[in-house]
Amino acid sequence: MANIAVARIKREFREVVKSEEAAKCNIRVELIDDNFTELRGEIAGPPETPYEGGKFLLEIKIPETYPFNPPKVKFMTKIWHPNISSVTGAICLDILKDQWAAAMTLRTVLLSLQALLSAAEPDDPQDAVVAKQYKENRHLWEKTARHWAQEYAEAPKSKKDDEFYDKVSQLAEMGFDRHKALTALSAHEWNMERATQDLIS
Amino acid sequence: MAEANSKPGESLDKALPSGVEYDEAIMAQQDRIQQEIAETSQLIGDHEDLLLLSKEYSEEDNVYQGKIKDLRSKYKCFRRTRGDGNCFYRAFGFSYLERLLDDRKDLERFKEVAAKSKDMLVSLGFPAFTVEDFHDTFMEVVEKVEQQIPVEDLLATFRDQGLSDYLVVYLRLLTSGYLQQNEDFFVNFIESYASVKEFCGHEVEPMARESDHIHIIALTSSLDVGVRVEYMDRAGSEEVNHHDFPEGTEPKVFLLYRPGHYDILYK
Repeated sequence: MANIAVARIKREFREVVKSEEAAKCNIRVELIDDNFTELRGEIAGPPETPYEGGKFLLEIKIPETYPFNPPKVKFMTKIWHPNISSVTGAICLDILKDQWAAAMTLRTVLLSLQALLSAAEPDDPQDAVVAKQYKENRHLWEKTARHWAQEYAEAPKSKKDDEFYDKVSQLAEMGFDRHKALTALSAHEWNMERATQDLIS
Repeated sequence: MAEANSKPGESLDKALPSGVEYDEAIMAQQDRIQQEIAETSQLIGDHEDLLLLSKEYSEEDNVYQGKIKDLRSKYKCFRRTRGDGNCFYRAFGFSYLERLLDDRKDLERFKEVAAKSKDMLVSLGFPAFTVEDFHDTFMEVVEKVEQQIPVEDLLATFRDQGLSDYLVVYLRLLTSGYLQQNEDFFVNFIESYASVKEFCGHEVEPMARESDHIHIIALTSSLDVGVRVEYMDRAGSEEVNHHDFPEGTEPKVFLLYRPGHYDILYK
């Protein structure tokens, strides 16, 4: 890996570690290997969103041409969000693509992702099904997103969320994979019959 | 909009095999194109005779052949730059620093302007730590010029991809900074963007984004360095037209513009 990229990442790593946001445990980065080519990011779900209280892990890969090209980032924690693929974790965010500038840093990226969790852009979707639900049935989208955060991101649960758990459990008892059942229910407005049909087909 | 039967997790583009993200495919293709360009041309080339230009156009092409003849009567030779979208910044940066090797007085002035520029950028809200990184590298090169390194060494600096791109980034930041500082004026010239800041985020700060008049005006004004651009295009007679930036200043850098690209000219 090019020296420039390594030197930059080393400095950035220190910057994030000692930053104010890190002190509040809102964002974090960790090294995965000694070559500084792969890092693990973590962002806290922002308050007053369905992701509140959740912890979202990110895979961060540093290209050799960093910082002239953006880091490759995707969600490792499964998430229900219009701009993030619920299957692959791929992210649709301008600064990770053609609006990246070399003056930006990992800190910029993590804070921008946190902002994306607070304000989705359904007209520029990564996940068409989630975006459609977000636009057409915001309330159900919110409940679904919260459920995913509870299931995968350790967000706290409350009694009123039991309905979705029961439905997933019912399908799981029928022998379906828990995650597949959850995905099918999420995509079919939590309608048991249609979700089951989808799982069988 | 999503089809009724689409699966979660899919992006809208169905033409690509599953698992391949549309944006990633575009980015990979852009990388391949850049790589091809890099293999066939240097970031900053050697001196070349202007006569070589005439071979790039048909002999019967009277407009271009006439313009090349006109160009040869005004300039000795030229250096090509790589057409990677950063050519204006790289051509300007190299050509001006090359000139400063022989102009101590202007170097003193420039060093002062460049030294002050960091605080201007930080005050505009650019992250201090990255601005510092690019600024320090930029100033190191300016100091090398002060020590009057041979032209070959300056050339080597600009041919080193990483180092050269660091200098391009700093010039892009200066351009963005000047546009934002003079927002009230420049807001009249940006189309399809809501603000000067947004324009800069899309068209100035990212690498490989090409330069237009507005970029040239901003950078040359920011550093107070005159640039003459000779335009070689289909327009007009068999003479090249030139324009000086900022208007009315004495040019210190001479660039040859052919649609979409800048090379360096020498008197």
